[in-house]
Order: sequence, then C-alpha cells, then structure tokens
Amino acid sequence: MFHWLEKHPFFFAVGVFVVIAFAGLIEIVPNFAQASRPVIGTTPYSTLEIAGRQAYIKNSCNACHSQLIRPFKSETDRYGHYSLSGEYAYDRPFLWGSKRTGPDLHRVGNYRTTEWHENHMKDPQAIVPTSIMPGYPWMFTTNADIDTAYAEQLTAAQFFGVPYNKPVPMKDGSTTVVKLGNSIAEAHAMALEEAKAVVANMKDQDVKDAVARGEIPEIVALIAYLNRLK
Amino acid sequence: MNKLYLWGIIIAIAMLGATYVTVGYQKGGLNGDIVNMLAVAGAVALVIITIFVVIKYVRQMQVDQASGELADESWDNIGEYKNELPMGWALMFLGTMVWGMWYFLAGYPVNAYSQIGEYNEDVAAHDAKFEKEYASITGSRLVEMGESVYLVECVACHGLNADGNNEVDAADLNARVSEKTVKYVVNHGSNNKLLGTEMPMPDRNGLFNAETGALITDKEIDEVAAFVAGGLKDTNSAGAKVFAGVCSSCHGPDGKGMEYVAPDIATWSQPLIVNVLNNGKVGTIGKMPAMDRLNSKQKEAVAAYVISLTQGE
Amino acid sequence: MENRPLEYDYTVAKMFMLTTIVLGIVGMTIGVFIAFELAFPGLNTILGSGLAEYTNFSRLRPLHTDSVAFGFTVSGIFATWFYVGQRVLKVSMAESKFLMFVGKLQFWLYVIGVAAAVVTLFMGYTTSKEYAEFEWPIDIAIVIVWVLWGVSIFGLIGIRREKSLYISIWYYIATFLGVAMLYLFNNMEVPTMLATSPAGETNIGDWLHSISMYAGTNDALVQWWYGHNAVAFVFTVPIVAMIYYFLPKESGQAIYSYKLSLLSFWGLMFVYLWAGGHHLLFSTVPDWMQTMGSVFSVVLILPSWGSAINMLLTMKGEWQQVAASPLIKFMILASTFYMFSTLEGPIQAIKSVNAIAHFTDWIVGHVHDGTLGWVGFMIIAALYHMAPRVFKRELYSKSLMAAQFWIQTLGIVLYFTSMWIAGITQGMMWRAHDEFGNLAYSFIDTVDVLHPYYALRGTGGLLYLVGFFMFAYNIYKTMTAGRRVEESELQNASPMGA
Ligand code: HEC
Ligand code: HEC
Ligand code: HEC
Ligand code: HEM
Ligand code: HEM
Ligand SMILES: [Ca+2]
Ligand SMILES: [Ca+2]
Ligand SMILES: [Cu+2]
Repeated sequence: MFHWLEKHPFFFAVGVFVVIAFAGLIEIVPNFAQASRPVIGTTPYSTLEIAGRQAYIKNSCNACHSQLIRPFKSETDRYGHYSLSGEYAYDRPFLWGSKRTGPDLHRVGNYRTTEWHENHMKDPQAIVPTSIMPGYPWMFTTNADIDTAYAEQLTAAQFFGVPYNKPVPMKDGSTTVVKLGNSIAEAHAMALEEAKAVVANMKDQDVKDAVARGEIPEIVALIAYLNRLK
Repeated sequence: MNKLYLWGIIIAIAMLGATYVTVGYQKGGLNGDIVNMLAVAGAVALVIITIFVVIKYVRQMQVDQASGELADESWDNIGEYKNELPMGWALMFLGTMVWGMWYFLAGYPVNAYSQIGEYNEDVAAHDAKFEKEYASITGSRLVEMGESVYLVECVACHGLNADGNNEVDAADLNARVSEKTVKYVVNHGSNNKLLGTEMPMPDRNGLFNAETGALITDKEIDEVAAFVAGGLKDTNSAGAKVFAGVCSSCHGPDGKGMEYVAPDIATWSQPLIVNVLNNGKVGTIGKMPAMDRLNSKQKEAVAAYVISLTQGE
Repeated sequence: MENRPLEYDYTVAKMFMLTTIVLGIVGMTIGVFIAFELAFPGLNTILGSGLAEYTNFSRLRPLHTDSVAFGFTVSGIFATWFYVGQRVLKVSMAESKFLMFVGKLQFWLYVIGVAAAVVTLFMGYTTSKEYAEFEWPIDIAIVIVWVLWGVSIFGLIGIRREKSLYISIWYYIATFLGVAMLYLFNNMEVPTMLATSPAGETNIGDWLHSISMYAGTNDALVQWWYGHNAVAFVFTVPIVAMIYYFLPKESGQAIYSYKLSLLSFWGLMFVYLWAGGHHLLFSTVPDWMQTMGSVFSVVLILPSWGSAINMLLTMKGEWQQVAASPLIKFMILASTFYMFSTLEGPIQAIKSVNAIAHFTDWIVGHVHDGTLGWVGFMIIAALYHMAPRVFKRELYSKSLMAAQFWIQTLGIVLYFTSMWIAGITQGMMWRAHDEFGNLAYSFIDTVDVLHPYYALRGTGGLLYLVGFFMFAYNIYKTMTAGRRVEESELQNASPMGA
C-alpha cells in the first residue's frame, strides 16, 4: 500500500493530511464545545484596561512574564490562588507566556500598587537594584491608542458577544456593568475618567499634566491594566 | 575496551560530578522534593542514554560494513537497502505504544487524575507539617521566621534594609513613624483600621489642645511631629507639651496607645502591624497593599521581625 | 538524453540561499544581543534611551525567534527544496516557464513579507502568540507565499520523470500540508477595524490591529497545538527531508533501511500532533488533554529516533569519511543533536519534570540544542553541499569549515549546559520552602543567581555566530574565488579547497 502511495502523490498527500488532522479533531474540538465560561467576578475589560493590555502586548511583556499560576504550593504562596479557566474568558489573545524571566503577573494587582508600578516601570533598578528588567520610560511620553482599544471592545462585543453594558455577577452576589462608549468621543471621555483615578496616585508631573490636558500616556493605561490583574 | 566507550564513561562521570556540584552547592537543592529529583535524574539520564546510543552506532561506522539487498530504485543516485528494522528500536516503539494505550485505558483513564486534587493534598500535608512543628515558636525563632517572610514578601517595597527604599516608596520600618507621616495624619486624620476597627483619628479640626483650649496650630503640629518622630524621647521639648495637651488623651501619656481608642505610636506593636497586613494602608507615603496571601502565623512572625528592627538599638 | 545529466536550474535555490544566510546573520546577531541583555541589562539602552524602545529585550525577542524560524529556517527549507526537488524528481525547473515564474514570484513575495514583518515587529505590532506574532496582512502574505510553494511542489511532482517519490519528498509534502493547516487555524483573527460603534462610526483605530477568534484557554489550546507542531513542521520534518538527501548524497551511501524510513515517517506524522498538550501542563486545560500530551511525547521518541538511527546506520563502515570531511561531521552531529533534543523534550514533557522545567531556561536550553545543533547544522551542511553544485566551484576552504565546526560545537555545548544549570537551579529555587515552611527565595534571588549562566550562554551564542560568519564568508568566497569544477567531479563528496 505504501509503495502505491509513493507513486500517487495526490493520495499520498491526502493520507498525510488525514493522519495529521486527526489529533486536532479529537484534542481541540471537545474543549471548544464547552467554551470557557467566565467565573463569577470576571468582568470585561474597560477601555483604558484594554489600551493597557495592548501596551503590554506591544512591548511583549509576555516574553518575560507569565500569567498562569500553576497549582503548586510554591506558586500559590508566591502569587496567590491558582488560575482558573474562566478567569481568561475575555482574554483575546491569552497571555499565559512560556518563560518566567520575571515573576508571574496574573494577580499582581493584589500586591503591587500604582505608585510602585510607576517607579518600577520607569526604572526597575531603582526599586529592585539587581533587576534585569528593562525600563520603559517612553511609556510616560507616548500616548495610549484609545481609538484602537475602543475598536477592540466593539469587536469583542459585536463578534464574540462579550457582555458590555450588561450586568455581570460578582463574588458578593451583586452585579457590575462595564460600560462601552457609544462613540469614539464617549469612549475617550470614559477612558479619561478612569485615567484620572489612576493618575491621582502618580507622581510624574508630566503625566499628570498630560492627563489634565485630556491625553492618556501609555503608562497610565498599562497601570490600569496591571491593577486589574487580581 | 574501545576508546569511545572510555570517553563515554568519562563524560558520563563528568556529568554526574557537575550535577552533584550544581545541586549540592547551589542555592535551591533537592530539598527532598520528588519533583526536583526526577528533573535532575531526567537530565542525567538524557545525557548518558544519548551518549551510549550514539557510541553504539559510531562503533558500527568504525567496524561494521554496509550490507543488504538494494532496492531497484535510486533517486539522484541515492540507493536504498531493504534492511529489516533494527530490533531494539522496533521493540521499544511497540513497547511505548502498548504502554501509552495501557496508560489511557487502564492506568489513568480519562478522569482518573485531578491536578487540583493533588494540589489540595500537597497543601494539606504542608500545612499539617508546619502548623504542628511551629505552632508554638516564639522569641528569636519567631523573628527569624519573620525575617524569612520579610525577605520574600516585603523587600520589593520596603527594601533590603527595611528603610523604605530611600523613603520614596514605602515606610521606613527602622523607625516607628516619620515626621512627614505625623504631620499628614494630624492634618488629615487617619482611617486605616490600624486598630482593626473602623475607628478613625480626627483631622486637625477635631484636635483640641487642652492646654491652650484652641485647635492645634501649624507650629504645634511641627513641634509634635518632631517629638513623635523622635520616638517621644525629648520630654522637655515643646512637642512633648503639645503631645500631652492634644494626643495623650487617646494615645496615652507615653504614646503607647490605648486599647480600642488609639494605637501605639511610640513603638511598633504586633496588633498594629497585623492590622496593616490585613487591611493595607493608604498614607502620605503611598499605598500599602493588604497582604492576603500570608497566613496568620506568617503575619505574626513578620510583625515580630519588624518590631525587632527598632529594638536592637 | 538519459545518459547526460539534466541541466538543473538553480536560480530560485540560489536566491533562497542568499536569504538563508542573510536572515541567519540577522536572527542570530539579535539572539546574541538579547542573550547579553539578560546578562548585562545596561545593553537595553545601548543606543541611548531615546532608541531604547527598539533595542530593549522584549521588543527584540520576537524579532529573534521569527527571523531564525521564518527567515533562516524557512529560507533554508525553500532553498533546499528548489535544489533537492528537481534532482530526486529528475526534472528541471528550466522545463517549465510557469514553475520558474511561480518560484521567482514566491521569492519576491517572501522578501516583501519578511521586510513587512521586520518593520512591524520593530514598531511593536504583534499579536503576542509565540511564532505567530504577525498581524493579519502579513498572515495573508505568508499564506500566498505558501500556496505558491505548494504550486511549485505539486507542479514539479506533476511533471516528474521519477515515478516514485523519494523520502525527502514525503517530508517536504508533509511540511507543506502541516504548516498550512496549523498556520491557518492559529491565525484566525478579526481585524478590529471591522467593528462599528453604536454612533455609526466605522474603521476605528489602527487598521493593522486584530484580535484572536479564540479566547483564554481555547486560545491557548490552539496556540500550542500550533506552537508544538510549528516545531514539528518547521524545525523537524523539513530538516529530516534535508538529511535524507544530503547525507547519503554527500557520502555516496545507500539509505540503511526503507522499512525504517517508512515507519519513522508515518509514525512521526501520526504521533507529533497529539503531543502539543505538553506546553500546557498544569494549566487550565482539562487534565486528560495534558496527560495525552505527556504520553504521546514519550511515544514520540521512537519515530524521531528512527530517522536519526537510519542516518547513522547509513554511515555504517564509513568512519573514515566522518573523520575526513567536516561537511559530514556537521550532519552526523546534527542527527546526534536531533536524538538529544527529541529525548530531552519527552523528558521535559513528563508532568513531574515539567513542574520544574516549564517557565525556566531549561526549556530555552532544549530549544537551542535542537535549533542550533540540529536545524542550524543541517541547513549549514545542506548549503555547503549545494554551493559547489550551484556555483560550479570548489568549496573555498575545508580548514575554515573544520574550524567553524569545532567553534560552533563548543558554542552549542556552552549554550545548553549553561541553560540547563540555570533552568534547573531556578526551578528548584522557585519551589524551595525554608525550615519554617515559607518560600525560601524571593523572585529576585532567583534572578541574581542566573547572571553567570546568562553570560556563559551569551558567549556560547557568540561563538556560534562567529562560526556562522565563517560559513557566510566561506560561501561568499566559494561563489567568487573558488576553483571552477566540472560536472564529473560532482558525483558525491563536495570538492573542497584546503
Ligand atoms: C527582560 C525581561 C523582562 C521584561 C521584558 C519585562 N520584565 Fe517585568 N520583570 C522582570 C524581572 C526580572 C522582574 C523581577 C525583578 C523586578 O521586580 O524588577 C520583573 C518584575 C516585574 C513586575 C513586578 C512583579 C512582582 O511581583 O514584583 C511587574 C509588575 C513587571 N515586571 C511588569 C512588566 C511589564 C508591564 C513589562 C512590559 C512592558 C515587563 N515587566 C517587561 C523582567 C522583565
Ligand atoms: C481622638 C483620639 C485621637 C487623638 C486626640 C489623636 N489620635 Fe492619633 N490616632 C487615633 C486613632 C484612632 C488612630 C488610628 C487610625 C487608623 O486606624 O488609621 C491614630 C493614629 C495615629 C498615627 C498613625 C500611626 C501610623 O502608623 O500611621 C499617628 C502618627 C498619630 N495617631 C499621631 C497623633 C498625634 C501626633 C496626635 C496629637 C497631635 C494624635 N495622634 C491625636 C486617635 C487619636
Ligand atoms: C507594594 C508595596 C508594599 C509591599 C509589598 C509592602 N509594603 Fe508595607 N508599606 C508600603 C507603603 C507605601 C507604606 C507606607 C504607607 C504610608 O504610611 O503612607 C507601607 C507601610 C508599612 C508599615 C507601616 C504602617 C504604619 O502604620 O506606619 C508596615 C508595618 C509595613 N508597611 C509592613 C510591611 C510588611 C511586613 C510587608 C510584607 C509582608 C509589607 N509592608 C509589604 C508598601 C508596601
Ligand atoms: C520528541 C520530540 C520533542 C518533544 C516531545 C518536545 C517536548 C517539548 C517540551 C515538553 C517543551 C517545553 C514546554 C514547556 O514546558 O514550556 C518543548 C519546548 C520547545 N521545543 Fe521541544 N520537544 C521535542 C523536540 C524538539 C525539537 C527537535 C525542537 C527543535 C529543533 C524543539 C523545539 C522546541 C521549542 C522551540 C520549544 C519552546 C516552545 C516555547 O516557546 O515555549 N523541540 N518541547
Ligand atoms: C547565535 C545563536 C543564538 C543565540 C545567542 C540565541 C539566543 C536566544 C535568546 C537569548 C533567547 C531568549 C530566551 C529567553 O527568553 O530567556 C532565544 C529564544 C529562542 N531562540 Fe535563539 N538564539 C540563537 C540562535 C537561534 C537559532 C539558530 C534558532 C532557530 C533556528 C533559535 C530559536 C529560538 C527560539 C525558537 C526561541 C524561543 C524559545 C522559547 O520561547 O522557549 N535561536 N534565543
Ligand atoms: Ca516560549
Ligand atoms: Ca497572525
Ligand atoms: Cu512541543
């Protein structure tokens, strides 16, 4: 049979394809059938948080940082509760990473603060003297791309049914609504409101001034995102 | 024995030696942890197996001869023998396939294993071991334990010397309070559950000086701040007078606090630190997050450590 | 006609040889640079803080991985295809104007795609998925390049004189199909400009931006089904295609066993695809899928080793060739490293071992004993074999080649030994609890210990890069200064200068 296949390239190719496609069908499709549902307390990302997430991706923080706490005593001691599938329900793309040159960040919002991130992102060695993390000072001067963040939210809502403007259940039994702007202008205004709350705890005068002018430096968005990782 | 095998053995021994040194003298170590042992064993096995298998084939390059029946075809002058499968390889392939099927069908069928179940068991075992062992540790052992917690959890903000990273980012734990903090607290009040309750301290509009009968003044604030930050030592200073007039009613004449009324501001106290770790704190220096992932023993220990920092002098 | 050798047309092969070398240099230079950045973080701002955005580790890392995988390796795959394909099918590209055109078109589109990828990655456009960082327009370019390559493969097969397909062709076909399937499914993304705001605004934001069709755990599952098999169909399958041609050809030996070739091939095809779960051990994907990944990884040792053993046995009785020819040394060591990394991978895929290995430099070590030792050496060997035949000149220097071999081998050994120690040490430190039951080390403690190993790894990488420059120089000199050789000298072993 194989000798025959080797003389009939078309059937050979079909044979190879069937053999390699088989595994995907069995391993991947079942998980899609039970698409990961959000755990209670997981909310869609706000405009500013998405902008921060985009900054995180743009700078490939995931090259050094994971966002996946494995169920080992040593990891839950260090980072907090092990990660649950439903916590990632709104993550497109997922950001688990595959290398921990730096620590896991899945719950960094629980034990680091705005001020800390501000200092650390500008110059990691000032906070952790032997850190090998690069500084990201340009994030303090480049503005976040709120338009694209808004477009991403719209895409998530329109193509994937992410529940913006709808009540989502919280752990304490209450519900929260994450609002999605009706227009670019409104999205900007909402992001700016959020940015003001973040900036209130920051020191950098240029960043504060920028927000006062109505701009949103990338660092503000990034910190909003890091703070939400809990 | 062939020279190649000798080399193989030398490399294998070198590998074992290097492993021994690395595991034994490096930070980390096996710690009786089965996962560590398997990883190291895996690394050693990998090198040794690869070396000896390759040597086996290199020997065949050296002493054997190509043989067998050639197939009719040749491609760009490359021929092909119709040799049988190498027996060892074929058996192992078959073996692993059988093992794989056994694994799924009999060994660990689809839902036989749960990693979360395993985690829960590990944690329970860990807790049981250490809770029993350290339930009653006190004194300098508790401080040592606290230091170990401090070095992992707190250095990132408070710094290796606990001096608060140049006082830009976190409190200097080598002194009870800074002047800046006292001024801030007196001006703005405080509501950080330092007593473990919602009990607030009023801001300056609620702070009467019993001596003068008036609200506390800017000058008095400066004086009292210097006094408190100085550890309430200079009892003849102007600040001491202000303290007696304004603060002692709640914090006590010596500043050691009064239960349910106001915390100790003269020295670090165990309950205050534990309350900070439970609730976090937002002050003039910044925001201290609540450290939820520490257990109560760890909080107690790290508090003992912080207290020990100011007791040395 | 049948007596005279065909005049094969190597135009397209030569073009891809060029990109193999150029992109190899680019990718590995970046690799060495980012390796030293981890040892000496000051390098992140080497061009000043103004340009730090483009010189820092995180921006450059995807440039390294993509330029070595999709630049160096994929170019190598194409270059060897346009050489090997003609010869084992016994048909010249010159016989079909159409295929010639398609080949050249593929090359130029590829170059445009590479340029676009480099520019966008520098600018920070990435979807973050490893080895699938490119945004959707580049995906489209890649798909077109791939389809064109498919046309080449099946076009050439369609007009072949050799009835039955040689083993290398099996592997090239599998590469084509495998990558096509994987790439398409993992890059299902929705450009965000397609959304409309309630106020009716359209085309909002950056047109290049897209988000994945899959979310969270599902996204991870598809990504590592892809990621693992990208390793299979970029770093393994096509490289096996190369060794099955170049080793017997260079040594003049016949393949040891058809049966072994056959079982290894179909075994590899079947088993590989199941093993992707080993990238997701202890994650939130269901336990049974993880187990499946581990078990199939162990089974995968045998079909992988099958090809390597077949190659080593092909050299039975030919030690004098191994000893005399640095070109054959490259290939023998390549199959050794292939065995090494395909035993290492399964060991790391065992759950208890992965508990340590995952997230550490041990994985990076595994990656590079595979890529440097197996992929790199095999592509280098292939180009060395091709050079005299496509340029009709003797290889410029054999001693340079021998020196390169030893320098690069030393580089690889330094690379993976340092990463092993780094990875296992770090993994153990992360897990360690002290006598009080508390974590023994803060994260930064575990970073501090790695410094010497990062420096050593950088040095190993630098040696490998130096060797690669020697390779580039040797090929360049062959092109321009090598002694002209006749067809008759080109039967087996490549003619080489001193
Ligand atoms: C070269 C590797 C590297 C890159 C790239 C990198 N980091 Fe880090 N990161 C580290 C290391 C190492 C540490 C631990 C030492 C320290 O705190 O600085 C760290 C620590 C952190 C921490 C503190 C976490 C904790 O638990 O203490 C945060 C938050 C962080 N990084 C965020 C980021 C963000 C956001 C980016 C991208 C914009 C980024 N990092 C890029 C290596 C890196
Ligand atoms: C009405 C009672 C009251 C008076 C009067 C009072 N305090 Fe307090 N003080 C408190 C309480 C209650 C807290 C704890 C508040 C909290 O939980 O955040 C506190 C907290 C503080 C702290 C914060 C300790 C820390 O670790 O941050 C300082 C410093 C302090 N007081 C100084 C003073 C000084 C100086 C005066 C006099 C000028 C004063 N207090 C007068 C009730 C009082
Ligand atoms: C993310 C940074 C951060 C971490 C981590 C952190 N702290 Fe703090 N801590 C702070 C800041 C900021 C303050 C100052 C708050 C203020 O008074 O403005 C503070 C204040 C304190 C105080 C003084 C409270 C008072 O009433 O004056 C204590 C005690 C303390 N921290 C202990 C700890 C211990 C113990 C740990 C580790 C288990 C820890 N901290 C971890 C940031 C941090
Ligand atoms: C039998 C064959 C192999 C198996 C079972 C295997 C297994 C593994 C495992 C378990 C990991 C680590 C996953 C993690 O914990 O992060 C890994 C990573 C990797 N392997 Fe292999 N491996 C094999 C062969 C190879 C070969 C031959 C190469 C390359 C030439 C290779 C390249 C890689 C790469 C690039 C990664 C890193 C993926 C990432 O970015 O995380 N592997 N492999
Ligand atoms: C000159 C030699 C090279 C050096 C110094 C080098 C260095 C590096 C460094 C420093 C990293 C990042 C590791 C980390 O994040 O900690 C890396 C990643 C990687 N390199 Fe290389 N590299 C070299 C050559 C190559 C080659 C030739 C290939 C492929 C053909 C390759 C494939 C990869 C891959 C796939 C990764 C990602 C690994 C992962 O995510 O686990 N490298 N390399
Ligand atoms: Ca990786
Ligand atoms: Ca893509
Ligand atoms: Cu894999």
